[in-house]
This record gives sequence, C-alpha cells and structure tokens, in this order.
Amino acid sequence: MIEFKQVNKFYGDFQVLKDINLKINKGEVVVVVGPSGSGKSTLLRCMNHLETISEGTLTVNGVSVGDKKTDINKLRRNIGMIFQHFYLYPHKKVLENITLAPMKVLGQSVKEAKETAMYYLEKVGISDKAESYPSQLSGGQQQRVAIARGLVMKPEIMLFDEPTSALDPEMIGEVLDVMKALAKEGMTMVVVTHEMGFAKEVADRIVFMDEGRILEEAVPAEFFENPREERARLFLSRILNH
Amino acid sequence: MLDFSILTDNMDAFLEGFKVTLIASFIALICSFILGTLIAVMRIAPFKPINWIGTTYVEFIRNIPVLVIVFFTYLAGNFGGMAAGIIGLTVYTAAFIAEAIRAGIMSVPRGQMEAARSSGLTYGQAMRMVILPQAVKIVIPPLGNQFINLVKNSSLLAVVAGGDLMYQGDLISASTFVTFDTYIFVGLFYLILTIPLSFGVGYLEKRLARSN
Repeated sequence: MIEFKQVNKFYGDFQVLKDINLKINKGEVVVVVGPSGSGKSTLLRCMNHLETISEGTLTVNGVSVGDKKTDINKLRRNIGMIFQHFYLYPHKKVLENITLAPMKVLGQSVKEAKETAMYYLEKVGISDKAESYPSQLSGGQQQRVAIARGLVMKPEIMLFDEPTSALDPEMIGEVLDVMKALAKEGMTMVVVTHEMGFAKEVADRIVFMDEGRILEEAVPAEFFENPREERARLFLSRILNH
Repeated sequence: MLDFSILTDNMDAFLEGFKVTLIASFIALICSFILGTLIAVMRIAPFKPINWIGTTYVEFIRNIPVLVIVFFTYLAGNFGGMAAGIIGLTVYTAAFIAEAIRAGIMSVPRGQMEAARSSGLTYGQAMRMVILPQAVKIVIPPLGNQFINLVKNSSLLAVVAGGDLMYQGDLISASTFVTFDTYIFVGLFYLILTIPLSFGVGYLEKRLARSN
C-alpha cells in the first residue's frame, strides 16, 4: 500500500533519509521508533507529501507521490495525518473543525457532514464537546478531536506523528485507546512514537531508525526481546530502563 | 484667543473639505486593503516568480515618499486631483498593509497549513478558510494604525488640488490671512476622523482577544 524504493532525502548537504526501502501492507500497523533526529517524522511526512523526497520512488496505493502529474490533494484525502501538536483550527468549533474538509473537499452537505462528524466524535468519546472551541479542551481531548477530523474523511491510511508526545502523562492513555481501537478495526497505520507499550501491544511490525537509515525491521516480540542491531539494543536499554 | 469667525464664516468650505477627505480616505482604505491582501498572498505564495513581484512592489513603493507617488499619479494620468490622490494613497498604503498582513499570516503556526493541506484542501482553500481568519486577529492593530496613517496622509491631496480638508484650509488661510487659527480648525477636523478610528481599533482588539 505504501512503498519506498531506494529513497534518499537531503536538506542541502545534510542527508535525512538514507537508502530507505520499506513496504507497508493494507491493514498493517507499523510503529517507527528511534532516537530523535533519526528521520522518523521525515519518513512519515514524505508519505503524504508534506516533505518531498530527493531520490528514489515512493508510491502510495500505486500512485507515485513525488510525480508532478499526481493530484496530491486527491491522494491526501485518503491519508489522515495526526500531529504532535494537534493543529486544530482555533477559530472554529470542534464540529466545524471536523466538517470543514468533508464539505469543501468531498462536497458533502452540511447535514451529512455534521452527522458523520458526530458519529466519529462519539467514537473518540467526546461528542459532548462538539460546540466547544479547541482552547476549551484538554490536550488529550484535542488530540482525539484531531483523530476524528482525520477519520471523517474515511481514509485508508492514518499517519501519526508522535501523537502523545505533547500530552500530560495522564492523558496519553485516552489517545492510545482510540488508536488501539482503530488498529483493531483494520486501519492501515504508521505511527511514530516513543510509547513502547503501545508498540509492543499493537504493532504488527517495528521499524527502527537511526541517522536516517532503517536499521531493523521486526515483529514486536522479536524486536523487544532480542534486537539484532547493537544500536537498537542501546536505544531500548535507554528508553526502557529509566 | 481662537478666532471662531474663521470657522463659522467658512463652514461650507470646511465641510466640503471634510467630506472629500472622508470619501477619499474611505475609497483608498477599501482599495488598499484589497490590493495589500493580494500582494501579501503573492509574497508568500509557493511560487518564486510571484513572490518576486510582491516583494518588488513592496520594496519599491515603501521606499518612495508618498508625496512623490501622489505627484506621479497626478502627472501620469489625466483624472484630476482627487482621483490621482486616491490612487497614489492606495498604491502607497497597500505596500504597508501587505507587510502587516504578511506578518500576520507568517505568525500562524506552519502546522495549521499542514493540517489543512493534509485533509485534502487546496492551498487556496487552506489560506482562505484556515490561515487568513487566524491572521486577521493578529493583523488588526497594525492595520488600524495604517488606516489612521492613511487618513492623515490624505492631506497630500492638497498638493494636487484634491479639494480635501487641507486644500480647503490652504484656500481659507490664503484669502483671510488668518493662517494659524485656520490650521488649528483643520487639525480638529482630522481628529474627528482619526480619534473614533483609533478607539474603534482598540475596541476590536479587545473583542478579538476575548474570543481566544
């Protein structure tokens, strides 16, 4: 469903992604881990063309992402993206945040968009906040609204860029629960996170990155019990023993 | 003591000038806001040649005295003092408004555009529905200042016989030789325009701050 072939990316002289080869299948939950600055977020952001690749090919649903002929807006409809800092629209109510894209991009009527929005708000457990402004919500609630805003487009792929890193510890659980439920329903998910518990429990596959390279790909049991790479071992010992 | 007969004897002229200043300022305000927004969007559009056009406009116009611009529009065309003045003021003020609006747009977090684009909105839609409404709040105070400057700068219409308040003042002082008092009244008329504008901006600022 998503396929990187020999992808490289440079910022000037600095190479952020090195020889990336990665295939993500439909319905798979792939968790990308690694130290900060290892290129995890960049890898994720290439998938919906928020970043451009410098070399190689990247296809999503068989469509070449970097290609000039590709209708990027059409491709993006099918890929939901969740950010570390939520990025809800502060001037719009929760409900308006969620209905904007369905109405403007999919051409849904107000009524239809509102109904779908309420369905997904209920799903993430905050339908009572539909008429609130984002600033009136806690971080965890805002992130759940952001997830509803992504889901309402009925995407086939959801990308999560450190979705819990900006949250108070006590709110991390509520967001992870929503993500777990999504994974169970068979959503194709790519998640950049430091939540190793989530990775262990939900991931079909762990991708470990360091210095722009994918160093290891393994199922969680294998990765956490017996990482092949020395760098991964070091990373895990640091992140798990504190 | 202020000679009030200057005011009462020439009330018609003062009011005529006041009206022209009001109309000229208002038209230039609307036009420079539209032109300024357009140039601001050009300056940040994701397309280099369009950026250059916007940047060139701002740097070129901002660094020429407004008096020179008004003379130029007066001499370049044949549409009379008032119209030439309005065009000159619009061209000049738009450069400053563009900068204020650009600063406002730039202060909206980058992630807002990314979130909007990620959901499939086009650049134009994201700009219109997500970025600009947020930028407006940030832009109101500097924009208000530009509008007040615009009203004051409209006194330049006088040099191209624009028929505005300053121009009428010039005529009155020339015919009565009571220069000092005349210009005091001219100044007071300007205050009638600018003080409410100033308070209005302050009020809007407070209201918008509350809605956050």
